[in-house]
Amino acid sequence: MQPSDTLPVQIKATRKGFTLIPDRDTPFAEILTYLERRLKESREFFQRSTVALDARNRAFGTDEILQIHRVLKDHGGASLAEVRLEEDLSFWLDTRNGGSPLDSKVSKSKQQDNAPLIVKHTCRSGMQIVAPSDCLILGDVNPGAEVLAMGDIIVFGNLRGVAHAGAGGNRSAKIWALSIEPNQIRIADLVAVPPRGNKPTPKRFEIAEIQNNLIEVITI
Amino acid sequence: MAGKTIVVTSGKGGVGKTTTVANIGTVLAKKKHSVVMLDADIGLRNLDVVMGLENRIVYNLVDIIEGKCRKEQAMLRDRKLNNLFIIPAAQTREKDAVQPEQMKELCRQLAEEFDFVIIDCPAGIERGFKNAVAGAEIAIVVTTPEVSAIRDADRVIGLLEASLLKDIHLIVNRLNYRMVKKGDMMSTEDIVNLLSVPLLGVVPESEDVVISTNRGVPLVHDRGSKAGIAFQRIAARLNGESIPFDNGYGDGFLERFKRLFRG
Ligand SMILES: Nc1ncnc2c1ncn2[C@@H]1O[C@H](COP(=O)(O)OP(=O)(O)OP(=O)(O)O)[C@@H](O)[C@H]1O
Ligand SMILES: [Mg+2]
Repeated sequence: MQPSDTLPVQIKATRKGFTLIPDRDTPFAEILTYLERRLKESREFFQRSTVALDARNRAFGTDEILQIHRVLKDHGGASLAEVRLEEDLSFWLDTRNGGSPLDSKVSKSKQQDNAPLIVKHTCRSGMQIVAPSDCLILGDVNPGAEVLAMGDIIVFGNLRGVAHAGAGGNRSAKIWALSIEPNQIRIADLVAVPPRGNKPTPKRFEIAEIQNNLIEVITI
Repeated sequence: MAGKTIVVTSGKGGVGKTTTVANIGTVLAKKKHSVVMLDADIGLRNLDVVMGLENRIVYNLVDIIEGKCRKEQAMLRDRKLNNLFIIPAAQTREKDAVQPEQMKELCRQLAEEFDFVIIDCPAGIERGFKNAVAGAEIAIVVTTPEVSAIRDADRVIGLLEASLLKDIHLIVNRLNYRMVKKGDMMSTEDIVNLLSVPLLGVVPESEDVVISTNRGVPLVHDRGSKAGIAFQRIAARLNGESIPFDNGYGDGFLERFKRLFRG
């Protein structure tokens, strides 16, 4: 047994569920493998619990958080309900383009109003969410709900309502979700309505972005 | 200790709220609890009809709130169970005759005397809805497996959560297994997945419900009815009994979930 301060991830029980505290120097792949193993070893234990990810020590990319979400759900039956971040929330959202998290943290923190809006619950029919920058939703966006963001929209759940990214006209904005089966998606000035009929459930997550003047949904 | 106050609500009309109130109220009373059912559907009362008590009404909910009678005077005792009561709604008044604060106070008083206070909510999300949920600490959301009913249920759940009523349970009513199997109807699994609130039970589509409504005798008095058994199981879960979800009763989808997880 390794001493707890060098475990890839510490799993702490709290009053409301569990908190994951990842080691700051362990590579992401190792964290994920370790987490998966722990979940498999104690399947029933995590069933239906809510989990918080403490990301204050270590920056995570959006795709990495999505992977953690998946592993928790698939191997533990648990749901990621909260991502704890530092005061300035913007830095980790930008790491997916390969830039070092710390660099983007410095450049971003000058613009305070760029912090993403974090919604910690399911967006239900009749709700409208408007975000001045990126919007991060820890839950589903149900049919009849509407999310509008000047920047990207990231959904740790199923997107089934209306999502409008880059609402100010930014055509490079993207929509990320574990599954995209919306009423309608919009990016900047383009609108897409999903094709009729069922599609197979995706393995990991999906991204909607503009390609050749058309909104395309890509499954990763 | 104060009793439990439960509102049965839905958003969309005609999905089975009144049927649910009448049946779970009756089962809980049969289990020797004292129960009062409150018809908050002012202007469109019908809980009294379902309970077969229509012709006994003298006073109603609005009369209590306006001080025209004591609450005991407005309570009608059930024809079979002497620990089951209903307070009828006013047929001739507008919904704004009542304020949410007044409902809250009435429910508080009733909860001191009764083990269960069950409130029949009107359809919609306006004033009548706000009145009905004001005094409740537990909500049961009823939906049918139709897209429009589910969408309204979702809306109502959002409003309940926003009003800090977080103890929310789901009943899927009028499920037709044959249609689900053929893929023509949304399954309970899909509905629970979308609404993400815990399931209290599933009630099959059944002619028995219509017959019992017309006779003014709650279904749960009839032993053979499948829908009646479903309501008995629902009320037992509400009573804190652990009733497993079971495929034999059609609510067994959770078992399948578990099997999936065990691999
Ligand atoms: N499981 C069922 N199978 C068949 N018919 C049903 C079932 N549940 C309810 N019904 C019928 O549907 C109709 C509406 O039911 P009910 O009055 O309980 O709905 P409600 O939600 O209270 O309606 P409202 O919104 O008008 O108050 C009734 O005629 C009832 O008999
Ligand atoms: Mg009714």
